[in-house]
Formats: sequence, structure tokens, C-alpha cells
Amino acid sequence: MLEVKNVTKTFGGVVANKDVSFSFEEGQIVGLIGPNGAGKSTMFNMISAIFPPSEGEIIFRKQRIDKMPTNAMAPLGISRTFQNLQVFKNMTVVENVMVGRHIRTKTGTLRAALKLPGTKKEEVSAYDKAMEYIQFVGLQDLYDHLAGNLALGKLRLLELARALATEPKLLLLDEIAAGLNHKETKEMSNLIEKIRNNGTTVFVVEHDMDLVMSICDKIIVLDQGEKIAEGTPREIQSNQRVITAYLGAEVEKNAQ
Amino acid sequence: MKLKGVQQTNWIGVGIFVLIVLIFPFVVTQSFLLNHATFTGIYVIVSLGLGLLMGYAGQISLGQAAFYGVGAYATAIMTTTYGLSPWIGLIFSIAIAALLAYIMGYTMARLSGYYLAMATLAFGIIVHSVLVEWRSVTLGASGFYGIPSINIFGYTITQGIPYYYFVWAFAIIGIIICLNIVHSRVGRALRSIHDSEIASSAMGVETGKYKTQIFVLSAIFAGVAGWLFAHMSYSISPSSFTLDASIIFLAMVVLGGSSSVWGAVLGTVLITMIQVTVHTLGEQFTFITSEFEHVVYGLILVLVIIFMPRGLFPTISSWLNNKMSQRSSETQEKKAS
Ligand SMILES: Nc1ncnc2c1ncn2[C@@H]1O[C@H](COP(=O)(O)OP(=O)(O)OP(=O)(O)O)[C@@H](O)[C@H]1O
Ligand SMILES: [Mg+2]
Repeated sequence: MLEVKNVTKTFGGVVANKDVSFSFEEGQIVGLIGPNGAGKSTMFNMISAIFPPSEGEIIFRKQRIDKMPTNAMAPLGISRTFQNLQVFKNMTVVENVMVGRHIRTKTGTLRAALKLPGTKKEEVSAYDKAMEYIQFVGLQDLYDHLAGNLALGKLRLLELARALATEPKLLLLDEIAAGLNHKETKEMSNLIEKIRNNGTTVFVVEHDMDLVMSICDKIIVLDQGEKIAEGTPREIQSNQRVITAYLGAEVEKNAQ
Repeated sequence: MKLKGVQQTNWIGVGIFVLIVLIFPFVVTQSFLLNHATFTGIYVIVSLGLGLLMGYAGQISLGQAAFYGVGAYATAIMTTTYGLSPWIGLIFSIAIAALLAYIMGYTMARLSGYYLAMATLAFGIIVHSVLVEWRSVTLGASGFYGIPSINIFGYTITQGIPYYYFVWAFAIIGIIICLNIVHSRVGRALRSIHDSEIASSAMGVETGKYKTQIFVLSAIFAGVAGWLFAHMSYSISPSSFTLDASIIFLAMVVLGGSSSVWGAVLGTVLITMIQVTVHTLGEQFTFITSEFEHVVYGLILVLVIIFMPRGLFPTISSWLNNKMSQRSSETQEKKAS
């Protein structure tokens, strides 16, 4: 379903991704892990066409997507959440999720301006559909609250509902459990498994190793921009390069 | 149908506003005030479009008076020079303003920040020079006169009460169009761009397309206003379509608040009231000149930006909302105790 071929990304002098290649098939939960600054978010940004790679190709369902504009991704079936939370703060929860329905609805400026027949019906169905996703992530009690007033855990759920509302084939979750407490993390991992079981492929970046190891079917490891390992959770846990990379990061952290 | 949690048009508010507009000529009978009220309607149409552009598309136009001028001159030339009906003139006013905005917007769809502000500033200056210099067509600085009145079903819309209602019919249609857009899929898309352009485009929102469309719409509104102005006035001159005028439109939107359709309306009404007051005072006190007016606008802009960056309308309405929810929670507490 997704194929990343020899992708390199540089920011000025910084090499965030260096000649990274991997691919995976539909119907799985795939993990992307690595120490801080390994280039995980950079990889996600390229797969969601926030910016193009410096070199290499990204192929999604037989189509090259690395030169496409960002807004072409959702219609193709790629949706995402953001590590640094990008909710629409001045909109309510349900309005946020309705933006996720944008590509599934079609009222344009002219039709909206004149309120032509059918626009109201579409509005109601977008609303009902949004409420279903809100229900799915468990935010139904907060649906009419302003997103800017929500707590972190709820914001992560909101981003998830909004991304799901586009009905993606591939869902990218960038540290969706960061900052969540134990219970919330558990609920999140249940949700992710449910999403996979409903037929959506999920690609997760995550630091919580328990979460990653328990839900992922396959894991890719980056370190300092390079892919150092790929395999099942069991294989990754016993991989010497991965252990060294994480230990190295630990040692550096302690030294600081 | 009420969709709870979604911004929707308050039709009762619209109804009350329409009622005020209808009653106004019966309450205020001085003809010079009615004249100002008619102009207010024309300016409301311009600032509605500009408000949508600023508050929803997040762009600034420093040349809105140029689209207003294009609309006025397009119909003036078509009806006076070529003897066409004002209704054909309206088509030209709209089409030319829209086309110019589309060309500008299209080339700028991928750019952001202050490019549109700069481009429209330049556009405003160019249009003004063309109006002054292209004498064979526009008759130059002295102005264009002999513009015919508008006929509707054989009835001539004369200055005074008929033109007042005629203008405000357009203004109210403009308000409803804006409310419809704002409270739709498109309005939500625009609001989402404001909060996070990255997330918005990741959800598939074509940000450039909507920005261009709203810019074109704002030009169409200004063009229609120009058409109304031309046929009200018999004569027009380039001096009505200067950078000054563009800045005043900007002041109207900033004062009222661009994040709400009603903000543009309120701002326009207030600025016109200030204009009228300054003029009236100017007749009594010689030291109050039109320069004074500009100082007042400047002061208002500065004060609003410092103390009420969202503008009057959103500030007042959220204050009222807070008051009301406070009161309702107080009564609930009383009931509980
Ligand atoms: N827009 C950017 N401009 C310049 N440098 C960037 C940019 N984005 C990322 N980088 C750099 O690229 C490297 C990889 O960053 P990235 O955010 O992809 O890491 P990450 O693996 O997601 O880390 P974390 O676990 O902390 O989120 C870092 O050195 C970072 O400073
Ligand atoms: Mg990251």
C-alpha cells in the first residue's frame, strides 16, 4: 500500500532523513520508532505531502504522491494527526470533525451563498456523520464545546475523530499518546486496534514502547535519519542496533 | 433545523435588522440623513465583502475602493456613452470587477502573507490613475456626468426614499449571502484555514481556491456598490475612489470586527455616523476640517487594534453571552439552594 523509496530530506545542513526505504501492506498497524530527532515526524510530513522529499519517491497505492499538494492526500485516502496538535481552536468539537467531512461533501461557494436546494440536507448529513466519529472516540459529552477549551487528552481524541472523518485508507498518527495518562493510553491503543479491524491501515509514531510492542504488526526503526531496523515487535526488541541506538540516546540524556 | 454546536444564522436577528431598515425613513425624515443612510447601505456592501476577505480568508485588501470605482465607471460608461440599460451596466460592473480580482487572485493563490495587500495597494493606485488620465473614456479628473437613473418595471428609482430602499435591498441580500457562506461547508473551511492552515489542507481543504473565490466575491460586492453609487449620483469622479476611501473601508471592518458578518455592518454604520457628526460640527467650528476626520479614523484604528483586536461586534457579543450565561447559572444556583 505504501512504498518509500530512497527518501532523503535535508533542511539546510541538517539531514533529517537519509536514503530511507521501506514498504508495507494494507490492514496492519505499522510502527515508526526512534530516539528524539530521528526524523520520524519528517517522514510523516513527506507521506502526508506537507513538504516534498529532497530525493526519492513515495508511492501510495501505485501512485506517486511525493510531488502532490497537501490537499490532494485526503481525497486519495491519507489522513493524519499532528504531534504538536493542530486543532481548530476557535471552532467547536463537532465543527472540527465536520471539516474532516470536507472532502466527502461538495457544497461550493455559489451553492452555499444562495442556499440552493440540497445544501441543508448535506449539512445535516455531515453533522450526523461527524457525531458518529465523535461517538466513536468517546467525545460525545463535549461535542458542542470550543476545541480551544479542551484538555490535552481530549484534543488528541478530537484530532483522531477529525482524521477518521475523512474515511482514510491510511491513517498516520504522530505521537497520539504523548502526554496521556496510563488509562488514556490504554483506551487509545484499544481505539487504534479497532480502527485497524475496521479496515484502515494505521501508521504510528510512538515513544511509548509498551504501546508500540503490543499493537504493532510491524515496526520500522529510524536513528539519526537512517533506517536501522525493520521487523516484528519481537525481532525489534532483540535487535542489537536498536538497543544500542536507544541506549546511546539514554546515555546522552543522562550526560546532559 | 437546529444543529447544536454549529454556528448558524440567527434569522430572528436578520428579521429585526430588516425591520429597523424598513422603519428608518419614517422615523428619520431629514433628507440629508436619509441620504447618508443610503450611502451607508452602499458602503455596507463594500465592507461586507472586505470583512469576509479579512476575517475569513485572512487576506487584506488595500484597494477595495478601486473595485468600487471600476463598478461605478463600468456602468457609467456603458449606460451614458453607449446608452445601454443600467441593468446591462450591472452585468459589466460585476464582470469587470470579478475578472480583475480573479486575475490578481489567481496569480497569488499560492502566495500568502502580505502579497495581496501590496498587490491591491498598487492596483488601487493604478485604477485611480487610469480614471484620471484616460480622458477619452473616463472624462478625467473633472468627472463623468449624465448617468441615467435606474428603472424597474417602468418605475424610476429616484433619490430619496425609493433609492434608500433600493440600496438596502441589495445590502440585505449581501448580508444574507455572507451569512449563508459563513455558516456553510465553505465558511467552516475558511475558519479552519485561519486556525491551522496545515491541518486544514491535510483534511483536503483547497485553501488557495477558497481564498481566491472570496477575493473575487469581495470585488463583486464592491462592483455592485459602485453600480449603486453611480446611478444614485448622476455624476462621479475619480476622487471618490482613492486610497483614502480604501482605508476608510478598512477602518469600517476593523472597527466592527471582521470575524462576524454583522461586524462589517456595525463598523460601517458607526464610521458613517462619525463622518456625519464631524461634517455637522465642521459647519459650526471652522477648525474641524476633513483632515480632522482622518485623524479621528486613525485614532479609532489604533484604539481598536490595541484594546479590541477582534473589533466591536465580537467583543460586545461575547461579553453579552458571558453575562447571560452568568445570569442563568446564578438563577440555577438560586433554584438549587
Ligand atoms: N522544518 C524544519 N526545519 C529545519 N529542521 C527541521 C525541520 N523539521 C525537522 N527538522 C530537523 O530534522 C531532524 C528530525 O526531526 P523530526 O521532527 O523529524 O524528528 P522526530 O523523530 O519526529 O523527533 P521527536 O521524537 O522529538 O518528535 C531534527 O534535527 C530537526 O531539528
Ligand atoms: Mg516528531
